[in-house]
Amino acid sequence: MRPRGTEGATPVPHPRTPLPRRVATWRWIAVALPLGVIGAARAGDLVPIRIPANAAASVADMPPLVPIVRTPPAAVAIRSLPVAPVAVQRPVPALPLPPMLAPAAPVAAAPPPPVPAPAAPPPPPSGKPTDAVLIASFNIQVFGEAKLAKPQVVDVLTRVVRRFDVVAVQEVRAKSDSVVPNFVAAINADGSRYQYVIGPRLGRTSSKEQYTFIYDSTRIEVDPSSVATLPNPGDKLHRPPLRARFRVRANPPEAGFSFWLVDIHTDPDEVPQEVDALADAFVSMRSVSPEEDDVVLLGDLNAGPPQFGRIKQIPGIGWAVSGTTTNTRRTKTYDNLIFDRTATTEYTGRWGVLDLQATFGLPLDKALEVSDHNPVWAAFSPWETRRIAGR
Amino acid sequence: MSDANALAAQLSSTDGGARRAAAERLAQMAEAAAPAAAQLVRACGDADEQVREQAVAALEDLGPPTTEAIGQIIQLVAHADPLVAYWATTLLGRAGEDAASATPALAGCLTSPADLSVKQRAAWALGKIGPAAAAARDALGRAASDADPRLARLATEALAAIGA
Repeated sequence: MRPRGTEGATPVPHPRTPLPRRVATWRWIAVALPLGVIGAARAGDLVPIRIPANAAASVADMPPLVPIVRTPPAAVAIRSLPVAPVAVQRPVPALPLPPMLAPAAPVAAAPPPPVPAPAAPPPPPSGKPTDAVLIASFNIQVFGEAKLAKPQVVDVLTRVVRRFDVVAVQEVRAKSDSVVPNFVAAINADGSRYQYVIGPRLGRTSSKEQYTFIYDSTRIEVDPSSVATLPNPGDKLHRPPLRARFRVRANPPEAGFSFWLVDIHTDPDEVPQEVDALADAFVSMRSVSPEEDDVVLLGDLNAGPPQFGRIKQIPGIGWAVSGTTTNTRRTKTYDNLIFDRTATTEYTGRWGVLDLQATFGLPLDKALEVSDHNPVWAAFSPWETRRIAGR
Repeated sequence: MSDANALAAQLSSTDGGARRAAAERLAQMAEAAAPAAAQLVRACGDADEQVREQAVAALEDLGPPTTEAIGQIIQLVAHADPLVAYWATTLLGRAGEDAASATPALAGCLTSPADLSVKQRAAWALGKIGPAAAAARDALGRAASDADPRLARLATEALAAIGA
């Protein structure tokens, strides 16, 4: 079966002209992140870094991997993104993608980079393809200390994350701030270099959830100043989405695919209203950064494409997952990645559902200990292919 | 006795580990956990955080409660713990017209000093019950002009669902 969403996904030639200067000069900016936390965890480096909401500049609290240079007079600390670790180089034969429930569409060949990539340290043996970046969504049901205390569960979860370049996680539920940094440390125990950004605790009751993005820092960089919880006009969303802007590390940097991710977990009792509110959120996201045309709304929508309401009315809209189930019991389609197919031409047409039972050889009860959701994913070209065309 | 009923009984154990295990197992059962709905609502007030979080996870996924459980759940609408009351109102809303007998309790939420999240869910639940909740019109009418825009919107939508 050819997955829906492949139409219009044909890559266009790589732009030969430089991208707008604004795009080409991302910097680490150590200013206040009003609603987010950024962290870089390795084994033995477990302390989460919280950036106070009212801080004009909080250099002492920044992640340990970010050197700080004071820059008067704005009292912010700025450092250019490192260029050296080029994780995306000339196209080479693709490594195996994660197993899919749905067969893959033909692979979209990545265009050659505009300049030869310099020698760089090889990335860790992650098994990821070099011709695509893999973006995933994973609802890790009740992701807290109890789940982290189960080594067999953590083993599966870490192996899941290492398959992808960015994972949008839903359902972090813990009073403690150590859950995600400890988890990222477990992911990095094999030498991987994942980092994370995390949002605030959200919810109308005392039972709160957090969103987090966990990403492979050897292949992906994040703009820390972009991390924020979306506005929630009319209080229609129980847990308003967390957004962050990412870019594939490439040479030159501005050639890397850049994109917004918008992480959502809808309230199962108000799906129609929340889905419609997400349509508005998606449209508004496209105006946040005029230079950024790629917005990927992903998460646990508690709805399949037939229930996408006003989302389906957005011109050009498409989604990766269709015609299959995404929960561990294989009975419901709840999780997806949604984007404008006419803008996000970097989509290769490859997508999948990582079936926990089949992939890790687990009986249903053991797979359910990991989560009641399977991860869903889609593959995108690592090269930025078009900007603000048609808008 | 079904698996869910046995686990529901286990939620009342004095052993915290047993309660945690029962709540976690129920959270993995999706709709099959419905027979334990009332006990899971009560477990939202458990002293153990893990029990509470797993109970919430189970309640999110179990769908509407069984008709036999509705009477027990109505008793929890006015519970002092807002999380218990919130999930009681939520399950009654899911039951729709089958929960018509909950109308007085839900209307009472709207006029009591209940937690705002409970009031909002009570308005939502009355709308789900629909015309059978006509007795709540006055309470909903007052809630429709509440200063909280979400409560006002949900009450307005409930009045529309109930009809003239």
